[in-house]
Formats: sequence, structure tokens, C-alpha cells
Amino acid sequence: MAKKSWMYSVLEAVQYEMRADKNMVWFFELTPPVAATPGKPVINLEKEFGRNRVVNTGIDEMWMAAATLGAGLAGSKAVTYIPYQGNCMCFQIIQNHAGKLRSMTGGVASMPIVYILEMTGQTPGFGGQHSDYEIDSYYMHIPGVKTVIPSTPADAKGMMVSAIRDPDPVVYLYPAGLRELMEEVPDDQYSTPLDKAAVRVVGSDITIVSSGGGMPDVLDAAEQLKAQGMKPEVIDLRCLKPMDTDTLVRSVQKTKRLLTVDQSYYTLCPGAEVIARVAENVDGARFKRVAFPDSAPPASPEMFLWMRPNAGHVVAAAKKLVG
Amino acid sequence: MSETIDVTRNDDIRDEPAADPIVSPGRRTFLKGVAGAGAAISLIRAVDARAEGELGYWAKDLPAAKQVQMYTDICRIRWHERTMADKMLTDSKYRGYDHFYAGQEAVAVGVCAALRNKGNFDEVDYVYSSHRSTGHALAKGVDMKKMAAENDFRATGLNGGYGGEMHLSDKSCGFIGADGMIGPAPPMATGSAFAIKARGSKQVVVVFAGDGTYATPHFHSALNNSALLKLPFIYVLENNLYHQYAHYSLSCPMKDIAEAAGPYHIPGVVVNGQDVMQVYNVARTAVERARAGGGPTLIEAKTYRYYNHWGAPGAKPGELGAFGYDPLAISSFRPERELREWMARDPVDISRNVLVAWGTLTRAQADAIEAAAKQEAIDAFAWADAQPYCKPEDGLKNVFTQGSVAARQFG
Repeated sequence: MAKKSWMYSVLEAVQYEMRADKNMVWFFELTPPVAATPGKPVINLEKEFGRNRVVNTGIDEMWMAAATLGAGLAGSKAVTYIPYQGNCMCFQIIQNHAGKLRSMTGGVASMPIVYILEMTGQTPGFGGQHSDYEIDSYYMHIPGVKTVIPSTPADAKGMMVSAIRDPDPVVYLYPAGLRELMEEVPDDQYSTPLDKAAVRVVGSDITIVSSGGGMPDVLDAAEQLKAQGMKPEVIDLRCLKPMDTDTLVRSVQKTKRLLTVDQSYYTLCPGAEVIARVAENVDGARFKRVAFPDSAPPASPEMFLWMRPNAGHVVAAAKKLVG
Repeated sequence: MSETIDVTRNDDIRDEPAADPIVSPGRRTFLKGVAGAGAAISLIRAVDARAEGELGYWAKDLPAAKQVQMYTDICRIRWHERTMADKMLTDSKYRGYDHFYAGQEAVAVGVCAALRNKGNFDEVDYVYSSHRSTGHALAKGVDMKKMAAENDFRATGLNGGYGGEMHLSDKSCGFIGADGMIGPAPPMATGSAFAIKARGSKQVVVVFAGDGTYATPHFHSALNNSALLKLPFIYVLENNLYHQYAHYSLSCPMKDIAEAAGPYHIPGVVVNGQDVMQVYNVARTAVERARAGGGPTLIEAKTYRYYNHWGAPGAKPGELGAFGYDPLAISSFRPERELREWMARDPVDISRNVLVAWGTLTRAQADAIEAAAKQEAIDAFAWADAQPYCKPEDGLKNVFTQGSVAARQFG
């Protein structure tokens, strides 16, 4: 046990699986699979497993995605890390190939592959193209692909283990805004399911649902609300597809109020799906969505920070719903 | 017969040693410099001008005023970069975190000097730029003050604070814009070239893109389609050896990326990107060819950036270049001596020395031009500092031509 960052936890999981399976491969561009954390050895997958298994490609996300799929179809476990600059360049391969092949082959195709897609969109000054948090909505829409978004280093490790061992393609979203999060993460290999949400705060007045990069602000907001006497329940989705409808429904049956919080655009944000599923199953509940407006994130910090959902927005919206 | 295997190489010229970067005045050195220009063209294919006995040394006809303007623009870009680096390192109120072009100035200036940069939108030549956009913008004619304000996200900046450095755009001089992604700009530029050809407006489209673009499918799509359709398109590939922190040999099997033009049956030219006149010569040849309906050219400019990939890590205030540690490089660091070697072939020095050798400028005049460029950059950043910040609620505007979108962050 030691304090570990998000990416150290991920690479620790991958390192274990690559040691156990000599056929497993890793594709990257620009960002080497290297991570360090105080008091632990540096993990460098490229150095440890060599370029025969860990390949540094040119800037070509189409190839990375297709080659990962092809390696999986050839029977090898494969992972690729696509930085945020290119996380939609690979969309076609994941949407129209990885997502459909098992169905199209009548169950023949097996794809033990993981697409780590880095997301940003939380940094003032980056401007439109380097702010692409909205990919959660794009990828969770695809059938045949499991889309997950861990929000803590411990989940990052356990869900990576599950993703690698899963015979279906997994889109594993990495909110880069969580890069500096540190927490105690077990050294041993363990797995965390790819279909369960996590109840982070137990309460009875209102259910607040978020995921990934939205979680720190939501947990901050929950503390503020508790200090003001409210009892919020906070759910971290973790898995966008399949979505853990039961946990959501159970919570809102209790609270009768549902607030969703997304860094993604309002239209078709994950919260829209959450609200739809709960509305189908819970009578008499009230709903509200906090999300990024339907606009490319402007570079200007004044505009961007005003638009980006934060703890203050969550507190105010929760009060409107409960009050 | 196909012209594609008709590779013209002048081995006598090619084997000449490169010109001494520190050119001292004198006829002999001047001639050596001319030979150096030839040496830079290691691969050139069936250029029409050559067939007519034209050597392609277009700089021979450059009026003095234009020579001076080119040198001035190189100095303006250099001092814009240096002033920006100092802002980043010393002014905590400066919010821009930019990509630097210093070291590559001669590429932007040499290419843009061969383009039409003034006129109506259906007259000027178009430039598509990369994420390293500030040099291209200044060379094309973008206002330095407004650009500096944009890069600090001011309401009166070039793009109202919406874009920042990676999304600069100025239609008034044909600067279609910067692009923060690696790949899409080149095929987009061919689309503009297609529109130009379809409407017969005789404009030319240039895309500036880095060595990192070679590996993208877009690179090959841009060359293939522009060759098939004979589009007025020039792919200026600035090979500064590194895409982010990765050496280009990790993504390209050739030493000269210009060789990639061969299979598409278009000219592929390697040029010394440190020397503005050599760049101008090959750009002018490509522009004449494109404007005359001869189709595209791939120019590979060998160059180097003095700063790290992004921001100013490793740099010190008042000093040119970044030699120190860059945490973003993670595990790959370029050798300091490589950087110092390239700085010994500095584009500012080379252009100054050439103009002094030609008798266009005295050293004192050249120094005065550089001093004025430095002052212009200081003034531009001072102007930008005084500009108003954006209004938060304006973030809901400019999504569509009309109206604004709803605020959704409040629930």
C-alpha cells in the first residue's frame, strides 16, 4: 500500500498483466508509458518490455486504434493510450468496427482490447480543440463497447485490470484533470467491476450523480451542503455503458430528487441518460441537469470558468431542487 | 512518358559543402552562399522553370525593399517569441502558455514572401498554420498587437479571446488559421485549393505543418488528392526533428520526408530552413507552378525550434532558447548540443549576413532594424496588457452565426 497517482495505478495494473501474459502489447504516441510515485520504483513499460511489445508510433490515432483492434482479433491482449489531441480521430474504428464485430460475426470475434482515451476540457486557456471532455457522450453511445470512466486512482487500477481481462473492447476514459489526484492504492492486483456505480456519499435528501472529472467538484459541493444541514447522496457513475441503473433507481426512490452534473455538453450528456432511466422507473421525482453549455469551450478564462460546472453551481442547483 | 522518374539532381552542386553560416562580406563568400542554395535542393523533380533554363535562384531579382522586409519580419518574429517567453517566465499575470516558433523564422518568412498577402479575400493567397502559429501569422501579415492580445485571451484580441494561440485566424491577410491538431489542416487546405481551382481565382494555398504530420493519414490524403486534381497547393513541412518530444525517425522511415512526394508524382524539395533566401527560392518555384495550374509541391524545410514543445520550461528570462529540464518530456530529452549546433546556424544571423554581403544593409542598419523589431514586440505586449478581459457571458455567443446558446451550468 502506498499513495499513488491515477496513472501510476493504471501502469501498475498493466505491468502486472504484461508480465503475466507475454503476448500482451501496448501502443502509444507522444506519451511514453512511464509513471513515478514517491517511495515506489518507476514504471517504464517501454523499457521493461521492449519496443517489440511496446511501440511508439507516429501521430496516427487511426492506426493505433485499428492496430489495437487487429492485435485483439489475432488473439493478443492489447492496450493503446491515445492522448487528448486525438481521442476522436479513432472514432470510426471503435464505433463501426470494434463495437460491431462481435455481433456481425455472430459472436465469433473476440477483442480483449482497451482504448485509454485521455480527456481534457477543464483547463482555462486551452481553447476549443484541446478541450474535448464531451467524448464521454460520444463513446457511451456505441453498442458493443464498454465505456468506463474511473474517478479515483484505486478505481483506475481495479477497472484497468478488469478491462484488460475482459474479452470485449473497453473504452477507458482518463480525465486528465485528475492527473494529480493521489490516494492509497493496494500493491496487489485486484479487479473492480465494469458495470457498477459507486455511492460515494450516503444521504436521503437528494441524489447527485456525476462521473470522472466532475467528481471532485461534486464531492466538494456535497461537503458544503452537509455543512448547511442537507443530506445529499452522491453517486459516481464509473461505468457509462453498461450503466448501473439499479443503483441510480434505488437512490432516487429514496431521495425523490435527482441532480446530474457533467463537464460534457448539455445535450446528450451522461446525465441525460441517467435522468431518462430514473424517470422510467421512479414516480414523482424531480430532476435537474448541470452541464457545460452547448458551445465549444472558449479559450478565455473568464468565459470558460463561468461556463464550466463547479461546486458552487452544484450547491445552488441542489438547493433549488430541495428547497 | 511519365515525368515521375525524371528526378533531376545536380550532383556537382549537391556535393558542395553547405555555406558557412557566418558569412563575411565579399564576393567569394557570396558565391559560396549561392552554391549553398543549390546544395539545399537535394531532390527536385521536373520543375517547369528548370526546363526553361531558369536556375530557380529567384532571390536574384528581389528588390532591396523586399529583402529588408524579409529580414525585418524575421527579427519581428524572433523578438515576438523572446518577449513572449519573458512574459511567460516573469509576468504571473500573463495567462498565455504558448508554443514557440523561434529558430524556424526563415521558413515562414521565406514562404510568405513568395505569396500574395494583401488584397480581397478572393485575391490573397491562403495560409493554414499549425499549433506553432505565431511565426506564420506574423509572416502572413497578422497584426502583432492584436495577436499578443489574443494570446492573453483579451476581448479585443484577434479572435475576441475565443481562440488563443492555437486557433488564431485573420481573413484580412489570408491567414485561414492555426490548428491545434495534427493531421486535419493539410487536407482542409487542399479543399480550399479545390475551391480556388473551381472558381478560377488564381490563388495559392500553403499549409505549414510539422514532421509529426508525416505519419498521419491526412498527409498522404492531402498529397494524393492535390496531385490527382492538380490543385494550387503547397505542403510546407517544417521538419524541426521532433514532434512534441519524439524524434521524427520514430515515425518516418526516410531521412528526407520530401521523398514522400515521389509516389504522388509531384515535386518534393528539401531546403535549408535556416536560410530565408533558400526557402524563398523553392517557395517561389512552387508558387509559380501552383498558380500556373501545374499542381502541388511538397517542401521539406530542415529546421529546429529553440524552445521546448510547449511553454517555456527550461528557459531563462532574457536568454534565447530552452536548455533546462522540461518535465513534459517525461523520458525523452533532446541533446543540448544539438540545440546549440542549430543555434550556430541561426536564421536571424544568416539573413542579416546575407544582406550585408549583398550590400543591401550595413551592419549598423541591420542592428537598428532588429532593435526596432524588439521595441515593436515590447510595445505590442504592453498594448495587449492594457486590453479588456472578456465578459464571461459572451462565452455563449459565436456558436452559430446568430444568437447565443443557453447557460446550462446553473442547472
